[in-house]
Amino acid sequence: MDKRTTHFGYQDVPVEEKASRVADVFHSVATRYDVMNDLMSFGIHRLWKRLTIERAGVRPGHSVLDIAGGTGDLALKFSRLVGPSGKVVLADINASMLGMGRDKLLDHGAGGNVEYVQANAECLPFPDNTFDCITIAFGLRNVTDKDSALASMARILKPGGRLLVLEFSKPDNALLTKAYDEYSFRVLPRVGELVAGDADSYRYLAESIRMHPDQDTLKAMMESAGLERVEYTNLTGGIVALHRGIKL
Amino acid sequence: MALTPTLLLAGFETTLNALLSRDPAAPSRLRALAGSRVLLHLETPPLALALHYHPQGVDLLLIDEIEEDAFDAIVELSAETLGALASGAEMERLMFEGRLAVRGKVHLLEATRDLLLDLDLNWEAELARWLGDLPAHQLAEGLRGLSRWGLRTHQELCADVSEYVFEEARWLPGRHQLEALRESLTELDVATDRLEARLARLTRLLTAEQASP
Repeated sequence: MDKRTTHFGYQDVPVEEKASRVADVFHSVATRYDVMNDLMSFGIHRLWKRLTIERAGVRPGHSVLDIAGGTGDLALKFSRLVGPSGKVVLADINASMLGMGRDKLLDHGAGGNVEYVQANAECLPFPDNTFDCITIAFGLRNVTDKDSALASMARILKPGGRLLVLEFSKPDNALLTKAYDEYSFRVLPRVGELVAGDADSYRYLAESIRMHPDQDTLKAMMESAGLERVEYTNLTGGIVALHRGIKL
Repeated sequence: MALTPTLLLAGFETTLNALLSRDPAAPSRLRALAGSRVLLHLETPPLALALHYHPQGVDLLLIDEIEEDAFDAIVELSAETLGALASGAEMERLMFEGRLAVRGKVHLLEATRDLLLDLDLNWEAELARWLGDLPAHQLAEGLRGLSRWGLRTHQELCADVSEYVFEEARWLPGRHQLEALRESLTELDVATDRLEARLARLTRLLTAEQASP
């Protein structure tokens, strides 16, 4: 009997293998993750994340879950916004990334209202209706079963809660697409090799972006997961899109 | 385009927090404000800006959906009034003139203004870190001299222009002349009202006499 397969970049791999291969990528780049993000995006990722925080509508007392939270860029600001009466959970499937995030948050004085959970986005270990806001920034494309992950997020959102998905997407301009392809497949792996000593991980990054659903497909997937009023904003010409849905 | 306001705000926030980190008085003021949220609601251009204080500074966020109960103070004003506030205009006067509306904890706006306007930066020490003590001091002295000269020149220019406009060319009336004119106009206004009342009384009397048999 044929094994079920999924994509890992441009390769087809057995479903049960993808998570461990993605984990290997992030174990490899964890220590240089922030530097590489700044280098690859020319610092623009900070603005994309900032806009995500603005659209999250988080306020004191809220419970926020940051899935695939990586090195804690979003969680750090959320921890200030929710205050001591609120709670931020930084979740990541990868222990290396979670460790980096925890160290960074502690270094910045965020501690009392932040919890750390190593969890798979497809089966989040939280009760129904737990969080006022859930964010996943540059993480969904690495998830094996995106529909299960979105359904799991919708389940643990409180009624009225918001899910924000910040992810690479499809540029809306042919010229930009060409320039972006050249940059992703020629420049990124070389920068990755020079800075992080790992060209393959950054080749995977470029490939995984191309395999990720486009703006409208992801919007439909979020609606299928039970979210309503789903809308998206293209950022930097559609290189990145911010999707927002509400659980009613 | 969606990122332009975010970029501007991020730049402003970073600059502001960098300045606050260099002000020796800021930590105690920020500790008192930490956890407070103020909403600045500008009418023109339409803009809702949330200020969220924490012990290290302030987070500035653009708000697309306003939930007023999430804020400790809500300030409604125009860009012009914001400029007046930033240049040190009295809050009470602006509120009395109806240009500034504050709901919630009014003292948070006062504390915000104090925090920003009373910034006391030891910029000479910062320069000294980069240039060394002596060059920094000489540069600072030069800048201070330039600043004093600029201020003095500005004051003298204003005085000269004022003297020419009011005294020599007499294009505009002086303050005392304006006051005298206003008093005369007020007297005229009162006298006209009085005359109008007398005329009305005479009209009533005449009408009553004509009506009587």
